[in-house]
Amino acid sequence: MRSLVNRFVLLVCAAGLTSSHVLAASFSFQVNGTERSAWTEALESLGLHEAKQGSADVVVLGAGATGEYRSRLSRGTILILEGDSPVAASFGIRATAKQVSMRSIVDARAPKLAIVWEEAVSAARFDVPAQATVFAREKWGQAPVLAGFRVDAGAVLWLATPLGARGYSRYPYLPQALTDLGLALPFRSARLWAFFDSAYRAHVDLDYFAPRWRAAGISALHVAAWHYWERDPEADAYLEQLIEACHRNAIQVYAWVELPHVSERFWEQHPEWREKTAIGQDAQLDWRKLMNLTNRDAFREVSKGLRDLTTHFDWDGINLAELYFESLEGHENLARFTPFNRDVRAEFASASGYDPVDVFSVDSPHHYSRSAESLDAFLNFRAELARKQQTEWIGEIETIRKTKPWLDLTLTHVDDRLDTSMRAKIGADTSKTLPLLDTHDFTFLVEDPATTWSLGPQRYPQIAARYKDVTPRPEKLAVDINIVERYQDVYPTKQQTGLELFQLVHAASGAFPRVALYFENSIAAADLPLLSASGVIVERAENTSGKWVITSPRGVGLDWAGAVLVDGRPWPVRGAHTVWLPPGTHALQATAQEPLLRVTDLNADLKSATTLPTGIEFVYQSSARALALLDREPARVEIDGDAAPGALSGTMLKLPRGQHIVTITSRSDTRSAR
Amino acid sequence: MIRLWIPLLLTAGMVCAQAQDPAYEPLDRAYAALRDKHYEQAIAGFQQAITAAPARASIHKDLAYTLLKVGETVAAREQFAEAMRLDPADDHVALEYAFLCYETKEPVAARRVFDRLRKKGDATAAQAFENVDKPLRDGIARWQQVLRAAPENFSAHEELARLAEQREELALAAEHFELAWRLRTGRRDLLLDLGRVLKAQGKTEQSITALLAASRGAEARVAEQARELLPARYPYVYEFESALQLDPANEELRRELAYLHQEMGNRDAASREFQKLPERAPARPATVQPILLEHDEPGPDAKAMAERSFEKGYLNDAVRYLRSAYETDPADFGVMLKLGWTYNILKQDREAVRWFDLARKSPDASIATEASQAYRNLASGLRRWHTTVWAFPMISTRWRDTFAYAQAKAELKVPGLAIKPYLSVRFIGDLRGSVRPIVGMGPQSLSERSIITATGVATPVKHGAFAWFEAGVALPYSGGSVKRDLRGGFSYARAITHRRLFAETTDDVLFVSRFGNDTLLYSQNRTGRRLGESIDVYWNWNATMDAKRQYWANTAETGPGVRWRWDALQFSVNFLRGAYLRNLGNPYRPNYNDLRIGIWYAFSR
Repeated sequence: MRSLVNRFVLLVCAAGLTSSHVLAASFSFQVNGTERSAWTEALESLGLHEAKQGSADVVVLGAGATGEYRSRLSRGTILILEGDSPVAASFGIRATAKQVSMRSIVDARAPKLAIVWEEAVSAARFDVPAQATVFAREKWGQAPVLAGFRVDAGAVLWLATPLGARGYSRYPYLPQALTDLGLALPFRSARLWAFFDSAYRAHVDLDYFAPRWRAAGISALHVAAWHYWERDPEADAYLEQLIEACHRNAIQVYAWVELPHVSERFWEQHPEWREKTAIGQDAQLDWRKLMNLTNRDAFREVSKGLRDLTTHFDWDGINLAELYFESLEGHENLARFTPFNRDVRAEFASASGYDPVDVFSVDSPHHYSRSAESLDAFLNFRAELARKQQTEWIGEIETIRKTKPWLDLTLTHVDDRLDTSMRAKIGADTSKTLPLLDTHDFTFLVEDPATTWSLGPQRYPQIAARYKDVTPRPEKLAVDINIVERYQDVYPTKQQTGLELFQLVHAASGAFPRVALYFENSIAAADLPLLSASGVIVERAENTSGKWVITSPRGVGLDWAGAVLVDGRPWPVRGAHTVWLPPGTHALQATAQEPLLRVTDLNADLKSATTLPTGIEFVYQSSARALALLDREPARVEIDGDAAPGALSGTMLKLPRGQHIVTITSRSDTRSAR
Repeated sequence: MIRLWIPLLLTAGMVCAQAQDPAYEPLDRAYAALRDKHYEQAIAGFQQAITAAPARASIHKDLAYTLLKVGETVAAREQFAEAMRLDPADDHVALEYAFLCYETKEPVAARRVFDRLRKKGDATAAQAFENVDKPLRDGIARWQQVLRAAPENFSAHEELARLAEQREELALAAEHFELAWRLRTGRRDLLLDLGRVLKAQGKTEQSITALLAASRGAEARVAEQARELLPARYPYVYEFESALQLDPANEELRRELAYLHQEMGNRDAASREFQKLPERAPARPATVQPILLEHDEPGPDAKAMAERSFEKGYLNDAVRYLRSAYETDPADFGVMLKLGWTYNILKQDREAVRWFDLARKSPDASIATEASQAYRNLASGLRRWHTTVWAFPMISTRWRDTFAYAQAKAELKVPGLAIKPYLSVRFIGDLRGSVRPIVGMGPQSLSERSIITATGVATPVKHGAFAWFEAGVALPYSGGSVKRDLRGGFSYARAITHRRLFAETTDDVLFVSRFGNDTLLYSQNRTGRRLGESIDVYWNWNATMDAKRQYWANTAETGPGVRWRWDALQFSVNFLRGAYLRNLGNPYRPNYNDLRIGIWYAFSR
């Protein structure tokens, strides 16, 4: 009887529906007569695919291009033109006799942002049609360098020069210009992590921000927890509000701790436990105020504080970050070189017979200029000490996990595979830390060392390849992209934004199962709407006989309106404009069969999903507590066959970490109403 | 009835307020959107309201608070800054602004505002100031301690400089940025930092030196940032030279200077710079901007560049810039006058006269007067016949007499001939006819009472010196016979000035046939100070000697004097205490006082 009712409901729904379909997104591009690799890297980072044959949605033409393209624009094609060409002239873009030397440009989207090209380019000054929007101009002479306008159903985007060798070399906000001209990106990902420091977001409306973070593809915030180490009613209320707002939008929240930095107040209250540099000063280095965790009293006090912090708030995980020593200058700068607290010195002295300070005292026979062995001994001791501390703190967090089993653990650790100097400089040794994955359950988040920030996106596949050689658990690896003002000589922007950021995220997403961004506040507002597209890894996207066939190794969201059949069955994991697919190859087609219940958002790796006569069922995997949002309040929730009423809070589900089957039964009034 | 009127009046008042306040409607919409947390709409409404009422601080504040809700911290800071500007008495806004400055990486501004507010007694500001300042203080002390132990610690210099800059200890910051750069000259960004700090200190020239060095040869980003901080004009030659002194290994900078010299026609200088470059045929830098030199597109500050070039002695550069400025504004009489003087110093007097002639038509009286005088002085020198007339009547209390000396001289300029022949008429006389004639004493040169006509030759004036000789006859106008008159000599005049102080000397060696073929040396020296534009006060140091060792011709004098100039006239009063250096045959006391009052008048044509 129930099945008959449901069939009837489906038919009724179908009668009221218009045909549903993929939204008017652009999927493919072609490049003719210019640097193909640069354009491919740029456009693939937005989730577009190169069309090997036939027509494409986006067509790039180099200088000197000829042909008739206006008719294509009427079919919605976006034409990208480089420099001077008969095609450009046919759209009113004409070179003048005046030459312009270009090295700095100003983008109207961010006029105060310094955009500098590594090499100056001399090119003609162009006149563009009056209806064109000039997106960017040369800084000193104001010559237009990036302009565009809509033509019929399509658009023209013009660049004064080629794109540049690396794709992102010259025009950071080219993707935004394309979207202004009507480019709709087809895919999105929702797997990014972002570090979050509330000091930069003290005044914001968190309920305004949380949905925007989620729309940008952020699945977890790693919140700077040292601000909340001590109880403070106002600060605590803010954090609780933040966590609630994130959970309502299916965003997990991790406590990000930066031991041996504990907190400002801890530093002030315990001068006796302050870490020391090699020249005997308190180790206040940059913003971090380092404590001596070798000292057992200090360790116990910090451990107590961590338990208090983690039990007081509804965290989804803990990120134990950068637990080693200072600094990136190594022993070249003793004023920044740690650890030289009394406990460490005593421990080293008892093992080696001399004070480690002697290794850096010019008058000592152990000075490293005379005794390379002394230096090696201390550096080895230091790296081992870092590993011991990491193991010790992982143990502490696992103890906490016994009372909060949903907590994930992430160990953020600087890369020392690509930059092999890290062990000597800061005591970071992944060869010692990675084997901990065999005995402990955590995610190993590889931090891009500052020394490699100037390298291009292709460093991520290289880093990933090096880790595959040293761990059998590549699925537990993640990588961190530092979006910061880099100290190196980098171009076109000091801090990654626009196309460079998208290419970085795209390359990192292809190389690692998880990508983290440092940090939320440094992501430019202009980048946020396109960020989720850059994390997409789609190997195949084809439209065959009215069906879309999508292959994605990690799952993907596709821009879609209305009900959808996936692999021939009604699909229940779909938000307002996005259908979410599990990894693998799947065929999609529009349908009128609306399921009784939908998962509108899921913060976990979706393995499979089924529409049941009474509701839905899905399988997920998550290293932290999973969060799911439903389109309506259900009647019942079962996890692995057991009723789980505690998992449900309105339309939100908080699900256990690990891999589980969730069965959700819809309310009977819902069924009858449908 | 009253009940009816009150709402009507209120309604009318509201309508009236709405009609009078152009910001009312967008503000109303903005607040409604804000209540519903539609922040984008609220922001748009506030922005429209600001367009309608830009001077209302409260709207800027409300917009700022709304921008904070959506995380637009920098934009919010700018709105608070505007609100603070509109209402400087609102300390709360200032405090908000300062906190946002700190959050948005503008700690210097934050610290400055906190400091101002804490001095007004604001406890929050005092605490915030301490929170900002203490880490800076501690950090500076910490790195200074490190440097005492290790003066070559690059990192410590850099850290110290950055902290000092944030604490506005600019001299300390500049010192350590420079020291850091000298330790790692490859870090060109430190030159940029140095230039920025020097600029903040108001040390414009030093700042330009560092920034110019940073703008050439450095990474593109550093170069562009330096360009932003440099003046919009193209650098002067001397600025290139200063930058090369700071950064002598900067080949790109040297190459550009070499090409600049070449553009300006300074071939020797260009060659010198090219020789210092390692490559044989250095590529011409793209950054050389001969815009002003080619008169293609004169910059707005060509005059300023000319002025600086003139001051630094780059006269050819000054001429090019001035000509460029003249082409930009052919009615700029100041530029014409300056061109005249520059050509004059370059000894291109024909060009100078042309520009003075143009400048003397200036509607500006001061320019016209100066140009006219210069024109007269120079133009006469360029004529074939150059006439000079001077006269010097003088009262002397020592001699109790009034003397008059005058000469009219017509000089012939013969092309190709260095020596200038001339015709001369001199007048020498006094009122009393003789100076205390004493029996047995010869006539005195001071009271000749003659008109002397002569022909002569003179050398050109070089370094203030010239020689002359003339032959003629003396015609006594108060009786007596015509006498042959041969005279000649060597004259030297030199003046040096430093600001308003001056020292000058006029020295003449004179042979006169009429007094027993005597040869005399006159040396008159003055050191003094200029008061205003036309009055000088000074001290005289005079000496006279002769070959015949006459008592009257061997004296030393000293004493104060004052002179006042008015156009071609100069009125002088000198009080001198003198001593005869030879007293053999001297009928007077060995010392004397003399008050001399004279008027000097001269003109040339």
